[in-house]
Amino acid sequence: MGLVCRVAEEAGIPTVCISTGRDLTEQVKPPRSLFVNHPMGNAFGAPGDVDMQFAVLRAALKLLETVESGGQLIDAPFKWPREFRFAPAGSNMA
Amino acid sequence: MEPIRYVDELNRHYASQGHPPYQWTVNESAPLTALKKPRSQCTVSMLTSGGISMCSTAPWDPMSRNDHRLDEIPSDVSSADFQIHDAYYDHSDADEDVNCQFPIDRLREMVAAGELGSIARRFWSGFMGRIYNRSKVLQESAPAFVAELQKDEVDLLIAVPA
Repeated sequence: MGLVCRVAEEAGIPTVCISTGRDLTEQVKPPRSLFVNHPMGNAFGAPGDVDMQFAVLRAALKLLETVESGGQLIDAPFKWPREFRFAPAGSNMA
Repeated sequence: MEPIRYVDELNRHYASQGHPPYQWTVNESAPLTALKKPRSQCTVSMLTSGGISMCSTAPWDPMSRNDHRLDEIPSDVSSADFQIHDAYYDHSDADEDVNCQFPIDRLREMVAAGELGSIARRFWSGFMGRIYNRSKVLQESAPAFVAELQKDEVDLLIAVPA
């Protein structure tokens, strides 16, 4: 996904990436990324949490105005209310 | 809490599934293109790699590898009209409300409120993980995708990996 963002920017289309995998994004270096420390699958928050969905989107869009060099990864201030783990579906299967 | 170390977790997980070691892409720099107009005038599209498809189209392969499938999603679709198939993250919340991972309703509301200019004709779903032949992404799939964005006169792309 980060690779796709890089190709889009090279072709003149600005992008912003909303990441829940900080180390993954740091490696690939999309042009602009917001890291949200939520479980993967909840980048924009919980079901029906419209306020958080807007807040994450707006925080990401703000990077279009504030990021001035390629590859920046900005940590969003949002906190998930519970501890969480890497959760591939296979890990929940018998 | 500290961010999860997905690289370590995924390396272990791939090995347990019998997959060859994944050669992670590591870039030292990145391009950057500035917005050409105010956000309130921009045409916006969004791309998810979370195995999200419309109910009327085929489900994604939840274990996909080297899958260069790319779905176009009409941007007026109902947010209730999606299914998610991806074995690499917990999408139970997104099953209930796709906006958790692909906030199409919120984007449309931001356009209605004048925060964004318009939604492009199409949203996109593709570029799922575990693509081992990355040169094909860089040389074929991604440029073909970008050409479609240009057809829709997209000024800004929101990308949501999963």
